[in-house]
Amino acid sequence: MMKNTLHKILAIVCLTGFQFGSLLAQDGSALPTEKEKDEKRIRFNGLGRSILSQNTVTGDVLESDTNTLRQITDGEFLLDLAINATPNKKTEVQSILRLRNEFGGFYGAGVTVEVRELWARGIIADRFRYRVGDMDVAMTPYTFFNPNEEGTVNEAAAFIPFKDVINYEQFYSPNNTRRVQGAQMDFGLNFSKILDELEFKSFIARVRGTDFFTVPTRFTSGGQLNFSTDKLSDSLGTMGKFGINLAHTFDDLQSGNATSGIRNTVFSFNFDVTIFNKKNTSLNLIGETGQSNLTSRRDSLTLSEEDDTFLDIGLKLNLKPQKLSIIASFIDVGPDFFSMGAQSKRVDFNANKTYLNRIGVDDVLRTPSIFDLSRDRALYTFRLSDQLMAYDPRFSNTMPYGTATPNRRGINTTINYGNADDFIEAELKAAFLNEIRGQGTFELKSFTLLRASANFNFHKLINWENKLRLTLGYQYEQTNRGGIDVEVIDLNSNLIEAGLEVELFTDFELLFGTKMLTAKGNEYIPLYADFNNIQDFPSQYVVDDTESLIAAGLRYNFKKGIYLTVQYQSFTSQRGQNNPNNYGFNQFFAIYNMNF
Amino acid sequence: MKKSIYYIISSLAIILIISSCDHKTDIYDGPNLIDRFGEFIVIDSLSQSRTTVDFSTGEDVVFTAKFNKNIDWIIEITGTESGAKKIIEGFNKDIDASNAKWTGGTTELPFFKNEICSVRLTVPEEPDFVDSAFVEITGTKIYEGTLFTDFEAEPGQNIDLGNFEFELTPNSGRKMDGLAAQGETYYLLEGTDNVVSNFFVGLININSTIAGSTYAPLPTYVPEDLFFNCFIYSDGGPHGIAVIQFVFDTNDNGQFDDGVDQTFQIEGDFPLNWVGWRHIKHSMADVNISQAQLEKLVSIRVLLISDKNAKPTPPLQVDFGIDYMIFTQGAPLEL
Repeated sequence: MMKNTLHKILAIVCLTGFQFGSLLAQDGSALPTEKEKDEKRIRFNGLGRSILSQNTVTGDVLESDTNTLRQITDGEFLLDLAINATPNKKTEVQSILRLRNEFGGFYGAGVTVEVRELWARGIIADRFRYRVGDMDVAMTPYTFFNPNEEGTVNEAAAFIPFKDVINYEQFYSPNNTRRVQGAQMDFGLNFSKILDELEFKSFIARVRGTDFFTVPTRFTSGGQLNFSTDKLSDSLGTMGKFGINLAHTFDDLQSGNATSGIRNTVFSFNFDVTIFNKKNTSLNLIGETGQSNLTSRRDSLTLSEEDDTFLDIGLKLNLKPQKLSIIASFIDVGPDFFSMGAQSKRVDFNANKTYLNRIGVDDVLRTPSIFDLSRDRALYTFRLSDQLMAYDPRFSNTMPYGTATPNRRGINTTINYGNADDFIEAELKAAFLNEIRGQGTFELKSFTLLRASANFNFHKLINWENKLRLTLGYQYEQTNRGGIDVEVIDLNSNLIEAGLEVELFTDFELLFGTKMLTAKGNEYIPLYADFNNIQDFPSQYVVDDTESLIAAGLRYNFKKGIYLTVQYQSFTSQRGQNNPNNYGFNQFFAIYNMNF
Repeated sequence: MKKSIYYIISSLAIILIISSCDHKTDIYDGPNLIDRFGEFIVIDSLSQSRTTVDFSTGEDVVFTAKFNKNIDWIIEITGTESGAKKIIEGFNKDIDASNAKWTGGTTELPFFKNEICSVRLTVPEEPDFVDSAFVEITGTKIYEGTLFTDFEAEPGQNIDLGNFEFELTPNSGRKMDGLAAQGETYYLLEGTDNVVSNFFVGLININSTIAGSTYAPLPTYVPEDLFFNCFIYSDGGPHGIAVIQFVFDTNDNGQFDDGVDQTFQIEGDFPLNWVGWRHIKHSMADVNISQAQLEKLVSIRVLLISDKNAKPTPPLQVDFGIDYMIFTQGAPLEL
């Protein structure tokens, strides 16, 4: 209904005049795009993309299976046309119209036209910023957040084009925002004493519609009050930044004929206190603590209720001349901590894969691989899940739901060195965590996670004007549990990534990339029934897998945001020993991407 | 002032931090892994508290066994003469009085008789495992309730057989062929709607005098609290429908006058689409009879109907048996 109304408003606005300008498409913030002096303008921008790919199946699976397709050619041509209008200096509206044609679609067959994005924003009384329609929202990692996907540490440039497609299609942003549709309101205040700044943000969005029978409309809402203080000590630079956060997801039991629904509330308090900030060194106390509440209701009757707390507190040391920053935190996230807005994953491991969802003699469901995670947008989602989603312990077992993973206690550290302009830019993350409550036993699992990434900008070292860059990533994960035979868990996995970018001529790059995953051992993967309640452990998960993905290709950058890449990728999957369903993919593809 | 603000915020933070590490850890999530995946071992085999039992005096039999883990188990007790079955199920590692006590009831009709019963303990997840025992019943269970009739005694004038269209077979009447759900006798109505083509085949009027008084003695006269129970036997053949009508003595003359006295029945009646005996039960409020009308329940009429809309040409024979008509208070009869 609201979208229809906005359609009409946009149509009227579009007819009032045309002017061309440049804007970034898919802008999810509530910040004004242009300065207020730019009045009454209509601008066009957007994105054009062509993908053509040919995939060939290889491996043992072909010997016994005659049904699986040997070769698939597919692709798409797509144009997202963003129409941005500023009818007056305090209002801005935007619509993105999508025209898409499947590769092989003729004369309208396979062509789709849809509205991809629609919003309006502006300023009320020079005080309040508002936005209605589509918007991107992130609060804190425990309240409302879109945690990063698994299966990658430091993605090689060769794999970036497909990852860019996924990020664009699912509205992922570097700020871990989540795309929702609703309304947003912000305002800020400055103070002359004690407090420095105070900022208030709020939003409400509909994340699910009713089916007019048993499924009620679901809303998610949130509010943040952030404030910072004056310096307590000018010599030390002591000051503090604090935030009070509330995320609330609820079902509207007045919608349809639904009588039962849920309420999930997460309240938190976050802080970043600068203990001292000297010329060469700074030390901060950082963290967040809070509580979640989950209530299941029928009419006004509470059927079940559970709540739990979390704590994330640490120190951040910044050695400025050395370009080194160290964060060491203690985290304690309760087993019953449930935050729909922060624990909903990007990867839906139960989703159907675009390419060969089933394979082999018995038509078995193909487990998502590093190949799928690197290219298949159908596996990704930005939507909220009302129960903990399925995960693959080969990719992530320590924190499959990001920082807000429930039932974890221990130490989490991050060391950063250098920046993008240096010869070496590196990051090391280590987490040593334990379960707080056992799963199927009182014995507790222990987790060790190491993630290291490094970028070597050799062109900086040898003063070459073209880019010569080596990227490395490594993830090691170990899970253990003691006890009697059936309780014992011993699972380890390694994910190795390497990439090379050689700019042979200006804007013309040679790309190499590789990924390799090995996983061996056993685990029990819980099957969640409601929210975070474990219904069963369907079977013992035993794994002895090796996956490898190699890519080589060329990329030509016409200008920033406009490029053409042609690549060849080869993938192999070996699950266990002598598995007749071991398979591989050889893929040749071309992507032309144009932001305009 | 600045320091005060810091102290307030710091105090708040400390309180939150201290309260943030307290979680419920005296349980674990999900099913027990040993129960789910551990090896199954029988620690104590099946045994029972007594080998002969008189349920009529309130005796019971307790079965015991012990496994190394919680697992689904089934105890099936079968009457070697009656074929009655009592099934006790559970998910435990210890089978004992808390979960395996038999007080003489039945799960699948008929009722048990004074007979020897075989007992089998099985575990569905372990198809190779079976343990067995025997129990002899010397007295059957006495069920609570006010019996209307169980057809055991010769009814005499208390039952009128209505074969108005001459469609009932001579086989209709009290039967003592070993099929009774309770005792030795039940009542069979059998016939074909092939004389007068309508729904009706035949009926019996069971006057309340069969229970010893003009109006049926009932444990309560509150319709919502009063439950009617009976057992109906069906051979699963098509088109048969059983109808049970409760007759209110409208004209207060102490006897059933067809067309004068008001009748009440369950909407939809009982399509005879099952095989074997079935426990029929409903509250008297379900037939929309009032307390005053219940106090003058002069008769229960049982009809055999052939579903005219569905039956073929020529019509097929339809039949059913009825046994153990009993009223209970508060809840249906607990088998």
